[in-house]
Amino acid sequence: MRRVVGPLLALTVALVLADSAVVTLALPDILRELDTSVAQVAWVLISFNLVLAIAAVPAAVALARVRPAVPTALGIAAFAGASAWCAVAGSIDVLIAARCVQALGGAVAVVGCLELLVARYDERRGITVWVTAGVVGTATGPFAGGLLTELISWQSIFIVQVPVAVLAVPAALAVVAMPLPTLDRHRPDVRPNVTLALLSAALTAALFLLVLLLVEGWSRSPGIAALTVSVVPVAAIAAGPLARALRPSDEMEVAVGCFLIAGGLVGLAILPSAHLGWTVAPQALVGLGLGLTVDRLTAKAVSLRLPRIEHAGWTIGARHVGVVLGLAVLTPVFTADLRDAQVPAQEAITALVLDAPLQPQGKIAVAEALGTALSAEQGQVPELGPAFDRIDVPVEEQFALARLERDLGDQLERAATRAFRDSFLLGAGFALLALLVVVAPRRRRTAS
Amino acid sequence: MSRPHSLRRLALPLVALVLVAGVLGVQVANGGGAYEPLRPADACSEQVVTSQAEGIEGLTEQLVLLAVADAACALGVTREALTLELARSGAVTETQVDALREGLRSVVAQMEDDGSLPLASELVDEALDSADLNRFLELAIRALPDSLVDAALKTDDVLLRAIDDLDLRALLSNLDDQGDLNRQVEAAVTQAVKDSLVDRVRDII
Repeated sequence: MRRVVGPLLALTVALVLADSAVVTLALPDILRELDTSVAQVAWVLISFNLVLAIAAVPAAVALARVRPAVPTALGIAAFAGASAWCAVAGSIDVLIAARCVQALGGAVAVVGCLELLVARYDERRGITVWVTAGVVGTATGPFAGGLLTELISWQSIFIVQVPVAVLAVPAALAVVAMPLPTLDRHRPDVRPNVTLALLSAALTAALFLLVLLLVEGWSRSPGIAALTVSVVPVAAIAAGPLARALRPSDEMEVAVGCFLIAGGLVGLAILPSAHLGWTVAPQALVGLGLGLTVDRLTAKAVSLRLPRIEHAGWTIGARHVGVVLGLAVLTPVFTADLRDAQVPAQEAITALVLDAPLQPQGKIAVAEALGTALSAEQGQVPELGPAFDRIDVPVEEQFALARLERDLGDQLERAATRAFRDSFLLGAGFALLALLVVVAPRRRRTAS
Repeated sequence: MSRPHSLRRLALPLVALVLVAGVLGVQVANGGGAYEPLRPADACSEQVVTSQAEGIEGLTEQLVLLAVADAACALGVTREALTLELARSGAVTETQVDALREGLRSVVAQMEDDGSLPLASELVDEALDSADLNRFLELAIRALPDSLVDAALKTDDVLLRAIDDLDLRALLSNLDDQGDLNRQVEAAVTQAVKDSLVDRVRDII
């Protein structure tokens, strides 16, 4: 048991922080199965991050005063129970309520795990494991969630968390950790926490918007989208060796990371086509930036600050405030842009149909089928395949019809890609703001 | 600070700068930033319309597409925007109907001027195939020499009369019913042929 205690606690931290974005790729399935609206389904994501942001610091303050093993175990158990509740939720309201409970349990579990990991290893290694687990969870969440949704169902995302969390309960109880006497209290380090919040908003743009673009805009399956966004965690892992090879200062490393994330988001804003390959390099930049910043900033905000658990709470709170900020700012922007994209898309489609090398009867049939498809998918990117399946044209025009379908699909992908541009640029703006916070001159302390 | 140390300090920012500039440069070079939906052409620019259909159907398609562009130019919108507006039942305004009628008339005049309008004799057989006429009358018309048909009927005159006679508003509000659409157009063209013939006979007398 002793040997698996540390990995189980680290896995719990990764699970809770992965939950921040794990359902992103499952949202379209949840929308359909629970028969809800786009605005409501967004709360499956927002509620978790909001509750985690609000609960992290109070949970940390409470845990700083007691032996952390039992409350942490209770937090993990609540997280596991709420995960199971999420899996069986039959309505959107129940799912959102379950996500709130999940975040409450998760907040206690994450901050408690830091103390237990430090007790299990030592301060330096415990913090490193806790920070790394968090980064891995954040980066791999959308990938894991997309893969599970594609292979099994959106419910499986929550079901697989239950046994891991259940195993982590005895692991937490097995660690003997005493509350540290609070001889000294440090104020939260504002700079790394604000930077973390702004970067989290930027990373929300990168991960949340990219998966939406892939699934909703380009009509790729959740599995393909999951594999595509796996570039981010892979690049984040590669950031470690790069930083070790070039040995920059901590501040420089974070500043460069912010710059890379901003560059990657600009790259996502100016994609040259809807080919998945074009997303790889911008994602790699974002992943490298993620790997250079989040662990460094979290470690800086937590290390050598007392009470350590409270500062851990501040970093978790800051990160999830950033996620909520990102969702709150970006969601209305890209939904409005997606709505505005309908007119140019319809005009481009009309131009192609009018000029198509088809007999007039064929053009009228295409126009009627498209009209039905477009009006049935108000507010979403329509699927043209079923509309074209219903069109009957002479054999000699089949090729022209297939080409028209391909060209119209291309126009829809162009419109969707264009609609996400401003949101990605806004995300890049968050990353540049984070860079400004990092490089802003420090206030000189006056000697008393 | 020693020189190697200061160089090492700059290594990561330089690598990042090269990576970002490289990625963005390659993207822009390959059309990044310009990947947008097709922009509709200016409706007032010269329109080239080709039709896959022949005879009356091909002529009708050409007339309609050119007239929509002409009307869109007059209204200051794109051909595509006007098409979408016209396709929305109940949304057609009097101004749009007038612009479309004027567009049709202008296209007929233009095609007559550049000689692209077919002669009446080239269309008469196809028109008789779809017309509900007495069999003997149909045979008699088919027996007429082309020169006589062309002398009796001018395509532009028939088309202009049909355009004036058509209830475009009713036509546009009923685009979904292909059969009804054909009946309305057929009735207007038949009436135009009759009127044109009567006027011709009157002129001769």
